[in-house]
Amino acid sequence: MLRFFVRRAVRPVFVLFSLTFLTLLRFFVPRAVSLVFVLFSLTFLTFMIGRLAPGDPILVLMGARRDAATYARLTHLYGLDRPVLEQYLAYVVGLLHGDFGLSFRYGSRPVAELINQGAPISIQVGGLALLLSLVLGVPMGMLAALRQNTLIDRGIVGLTLVFYSVPSFVLIPLAWGINLAIYRAGYPSLPQAGWGTPEHVVLPVVVLAAANIGYIARLTRSSMLEVLRDDYVRTARAKGLAAHTVVLRHVLRNALLPILTYVGPSTAFLVTGAFVVENLFNIPGIGRISIEAIGQRDYPVIQGTTVILGVAVVLMNLVTDVLYHVFDPRIKLGQ
Amino acid sequence: MPPRRSPTLGILVLLVALLLAACGNPGAVQPTPADGVGPTVAAPSPVSGQNSGPPDTLRWSIEGVSDLPSLDPAKPQDSQSITVITLVFSGLIRLDDKLEVQTDGASTYSVSADGTVYTFTVREGLTFADGTPVKAGDFVYTINRALSPQTASYGASGRLGRIVGAKDVLEGRAKEASGVKALDDTTLQITLEAPLAYFLSQLSYPDTFVVPQKLVESGPNWSEQAYGTGPYKVKEWKHGQSILLTANEHYWQGQPGIPNILLPFNKDSETAYQLYQTGELDIMGSQQNSLPAAHISEVQSLPDFKTAASLATRYVGFNDKKPPFDNVDVRRAFALAVDKQTLANQVLAGTVLPADRILPTGLLGTQLPIKPLAFNADAAKQALAKAGFSDGKSFPQVTLAYGQEGDNEIVVQALQSFWQQNLGVKVNLQAFELATFSDNLNTTYYTPTEGLQFYLSIWGADYPDPQNFLSQQLRTDTPNNNGHFSDAQFDQLVNEADRLGDRTQVERRLQLYNQAEQIAIDKVGWLPLFFPKLNLLVRPRVEGIVVTPNALVVPDWSKLRLK
Repeated sequence: MLRFFVRRAVRPVFVLFSLTFLTLLRFFVPRAVSLVFVLFSLTFLTFMIGRLAPGDPILVLMGARRDAATYARLTHLYGLDRPVLEQYLAYVVGLLHGDFGLSFRYGSRPVAELINQGAPISIQVGGLALLLSLVLGVPMGMLAALRQNTLIDRGIVGLTLVFYSVPSFVLIPLAWGINLAIYRAGYPSLPQAGWGTPEHVVLPVVVLAAANIGYIARLTRSSMLEVLRDDYVRTARAKGLAAHTVVLRHVLRNALLPILTYVGPSTAFLVTGAFVVENLFNIPGIGRISIEAIGQRDYPVIQGTTVILGVAVVLMNLVTDVLYHVFDPRIKLGQ
Repeated sequence: MPPRRSPTLGILVLLVALLLAACGNPGAVQPTPADGVGPTVAAPSPVSGQNSGPPDTLRWSIEGVSDLPSLDPAKPQDSQSITVITLVFSGLIRLDDKLEVQTDGASTYSVSADGTVYTFTVREGLTFADGTPVKAGDFVYTINRALSPQTASYGASGRLGRIVGAKDVLEGRAKEASGVKALDDTTLQITLEAPLAYFLSQLSYPDTFVVPQKLVESGPNWSEQAYGTGPYKVKEWKHGQSILLTANEHYWQGQPGIPNILLPFNKDSETAYQLYQTGELDIMGSQQNSLPAAHISEVQSLPDFKTAASLATRYVGFNDKKPPFDNVDVRRAFALAVDKQTLANQVLAGTVLPADRILPTGLLGTQLPIKPLAFNADAAKQALAKAGFSDGKSFPQVTLAYGQEGDNEIVVQALQSFWQQNLGVKVNLQAFELATFSDNLNTTYYTPTEGLQFYLSIWGADYPDPQNFLSQQLRTDTPNNNGHFSDAQFDQLVNEADRLGDRTQVERRLQLYNQAEQIAIDKVGWLPLFFPKLNLLVRPRVEGIVVTPNALVVPDWSKLRLK
């Protein structure tokens, strides 16, 4: 088992070295070009949609008090009275210098500072949740596939369906209720919300991972079942290979491809899409920042977080592409 | 080639989500998590017997936000900032636990006979938290700074604009308002263009809370280490998490009785409730973010539970420049058809008080009675008939707009059924996400013919004076008069009352407001629905704090204690 994973870890390095320079070029250049295109359309669309959408950041800032002079003064101060295209160009020029601008709501705080503060926390929560969902989801799916149509299989399928379909805003009060009962009974319990100690991580990671565990387990199961019927698996068994060798080397490796397809892009969303979890558990991550920014029409923050998410999705797809090749050498890079 | 998701798909999903969040379509907007939470899990037993916590730190939840924009008293944007600002800064005047004006940084004040010149004596021994003595000149600096265009204050022009010379500073023509003078180190003189009866009340609002020039000029992020003349000073601000305050040993009332106050941010009140139950908070709930209604029954028998009517009015506003609500009889019909008792006591389960007038319970002036437009289905039908719609069916299509927050959804549905039952009028409902709603109110104000027909809205007192509700909301030319209510007699009455600055004329002044309010009720400037209640939890170990309709008030900081 251990040897299997060590070999898995060494393999990508070996594979990348064995590639010719030309292949690498053919792989990365189109992707770099598409990244530029994606970033351009992303900034342009979020910029325009933000400004075309109803709602006005200055009105939100001023609250219920109407005062034409102050409104005009603030609009000018934030540069919102300039033509939209001019504003966009200024923004792009800033971006090229690594400047995301200043948040409207948080006075003089730069957007980059807000993102720097939130992103590591969200990556931590999202990353742990992904790890947990893989560590639990893949074995559960494997077990269900290998014991197809038994009680174990039905149990796992039922459980994962529940995990997958219960939304986090139902799961969170449930987790709270259980934890509160433990607290009242006088046993050691977890903090209900907050951030700063390792204990604070547990509940949000479990809630965030739940849906993913369900999905990954079901994906692993169906993909395993498909591979199990393949000829080469029968051959491997016929050769007299040990059962675990067949499962780990022949079945799992091929069954993991669809999971990779799912996990890559979902990582980016796990990090930024955790806004319900971040809100209710008081986690100062980037999901909470972006949702709040949308409500406040804090354009620079909306744009900044969208660009970061866009880059994350593109990068995760890149990593997925490389991993395809690693897991299945028949798939050539650049295809 | 295995199936793969293209990056553009993910981005598209995100953009669509953004787009949907931006439109006002009720079906497209994500429900706030709070809506789904509350009732799902009933707490096994109410908070009881948990009265412990760190002996030196009061843990006071700040709800509805995940951080504060700044602690600059010149530009408080939200009630949460104001709560923290009033712990750190203070001004000349404050409101006591009966909402009456009391001296604070000033030890005495006098008003000239014509009501335009206010002279304050700065309290002897008043110092900033770093030990620097406060001089009258510091107040001059503070007021000019609040007015300065560089400060970009949101409300200073409205509250301080009537000081002589204030407009010159606001518009960048002068650095200092000629009407604010330090006569000597301890005497401050403020001159107004005209007498303003509510001027002292306005000084209890943070924009005139004295700031140390040295601190403000130390850098753009000075408020992260904010200190002033208030009972506490900022010790540590963890962005997105909490602010820790520590006692100001130079505070003029004596050293505050609790060494530290920790102010954790809880974006969702449900989270705060959970933390309160597991003993991690001492105070939760505020005027804007009340204790979630679903939990009131669990806690209302506990000593922790505190409630008071708050100084806010939830109302229906009408666009008086657009048919059919330009007709006073139509407005009257809609007002008479609403059963406010049922709305407050059944639909909202007693979490609010039914409103029969505009001024909220407890506000100055509410001791004088008003003749309300009480619920009367027959009178409502007659009024509609008088307006020319004897049959509800001939009534034009009307749409009630509302912002998506709190219980608004339930309230508008109840209103819809009242109007259907009692007038036979089918009213459409239109939900708006909050920023879009304020945009629509703006349109209604500037171009009434393109604006909303009628809308659910709320106004909470900036300072406890009838002027803040009547003159500032319903006078013909006032910029907050979204619905364009206009009545010459009303204007005349409130104008006269606003000018009665002499404290001895307060009876006469309140009489005038009372007559004006009666006009606004009879001609339906607003259709007041209810006064929200302020519901809080305060752990019994906290002593020396009083719940008022405005907020929590500590009459004497040196007597604040943790048992």
